[in-house]
Amino acid sequence: MTDAANSGRVGADRPPVILYEEVVKRYGGFVALNGVSARVHQGEVVCLIGPSGSGKSTLLRCTNALEAIEGGRIVFEGQTLPTPALAAPVRRRMGMVFQNFELFPHKSALENVAIGPRTVLGTAKAEAEEKAQALLVKVGLADKAASYPSELSGGQQQRVAIARALAMEPEVMLFDEPTSALDPETVGEVLNVMKRLAEEGMTMIVVTHEMTFARRVGSWVVVFDKGRVVEEGVPKQVFEQPREQRTRDFFSHLSWSG
Amino acid sequence: MTYDWSVIWQYRGALLSGVGTTILLSVLTMAIALPGGVLVMLMRRSPIAPVSWLGAAYVEFFRNVPAILLVYWTFYVLPIVAAIDIPPFTTGLLALALSVTAYNAEAFRAGVGSIRQGQWNAGLALGMTRSQTFLKIVLPQAVSRVVPAIANNWVSLFKNTSLVSVIAVGDLAYNAMQIRSQTYRILEVLTALAVIYWALGFPQAKFVDWLQKRYGVKE
Ligand SMILES: Nc1ncnc2c1ncn2[C@@H]1O[C@H](COP(=O)(O)OP(=O)(O)O)[C@@H](O)[C@H]1O
Ligand SMILES: [Mg+2]
Repeated sequence: MTDAANSGRVGADRPPVILYEEVVKRYGGFVALNGVSARVHQGEVVCLIGPSGSGKSTLLRCTNALEAIEGGRIVFEGQTLPTPALAAPVRRRMGMVFQNFELFPHKSALENVAIGPRTVLGTAKAEAEEKAQALLVKVGLADKAASYPSELSGGQQQRVAIARALAMEPEVMLFDEPTSALDPETVGEVLNVMKRLAEEGMTMIVVTHEMTFARRVGSWVVVFDKGRVVEEGVPKQVFEQPREQRTRDFFSHLSWSG
Repeated sequence: MTYDWSVIWQYRGALLSGVGTTILLSVLTMAIALPGGVLVMLMRRSPIAPVSWLGAAYVEFFRNVPAILLVYWTFYVLPIVAAIDIPPFTTGLLALALSVTAYNAEAFRAGVGSIRQGQWNAGLALGMTRSQTFLKIVLPQAVSRVVPAIANNWVSLFKNTSLVSVIAVGDLAYNAMQIRSQTYRILEVLTALAVIYWALGFPQAKFVDWLQKRYGVKE
């Protein structure tokens, strides 16, 4: 990557956590990722934006090897990502937050947060639950430990989901449109938790349609279209002086023109 | 035509013992067919082709053979093939368990299939293995979704236990037929038999309705 391409990038001098090199992902004959190259440095908040269907979620699922890639490679902390069948040890070092929360409905909020360490790391119940409680405090849900997901609002569920991912003490957090399924009044509480995480120095990849969040919290913005990176840069440049026509097209489709 | 309902009271001991056998047979059959159904479902889901093929063959065979044939087969053929004496109750239990296991396996398979990929991904993303995700996340949810279907299988099983009367297991139907042949009171005995099956089965059916409301459509 040239210096010019990284201009103004605050994290560029820090070690890369994730490297994407010419990543190709196909579903049958359909090419979902068509040679994606990008990088994420320690402590960066990289925001992936772009039209729906452009491959953003696919890239996240490939990042923690929930799906195999057909070409190129993904390097995490210096190691090429293994195939999905062998990826459990790598996945425990990455946290993932889903658009639909995907909390475990048969477990309480506390159990949802404790189950990762309990199952994967073999942490003792008391210790795991103590830590889970502390994480619920951190996301502002100290009083919801005993509640089941169906008893929580969308924003509360998503905050539990963030706590669940944090319980594994991941080196990087992957967010796939974490606020898209939320009622407008609960979006803010989730974004605030994410902002706080970013300020603590967590490395984050965030797929989002919340342009305000990308602008204010993002340290690097990557614009996707049709399975390719169209443009990337610091938020100020991408949002105020987009270099590519397709970026401008995307922004113009975002604004309501009724 | 005169009716003599007193025979029913006179033979209440045999009828009660028949009820006991019918209930015991149902409970034992289900006690085998629940873990059996999970096992066969796991076989069908196995990535090892011969194992999954065996699971599928099991289900397709036992679902599509009349249960009464299984009852006869385990009673007449199995002792010869196995060269051991097997009491009728055991052969009847085996026949019913083989059959209900196939139905339960299908119910469990549908239940597991109904858990969306996102739940798998959520477990895997925490670093769980596929089998941990299956056991901790997918199976518990599948089981609660499968409760209504299993309850239906139970209700069918309860009635189908009457099939073992053809091999002289002293269940409710067999004992009733014995009373009939001793008293020639066919109308009274068959009516009483129907009433007893109904009285036992109706609350179960109502309970299933309740379970379906409770567990049926829920996300
Ligand atoms: N499991 C799948 N099978 C087939 N096609 C898929 C699958 N997942 C995603 N796709 C396709 O890949 C493209 C990219 O999808 P996605 O990564 O979800 O886009 P985005 O998150 O940017 O909206 C879409 O056209 C989608 O239909
Ligand atoms: Mg998406």
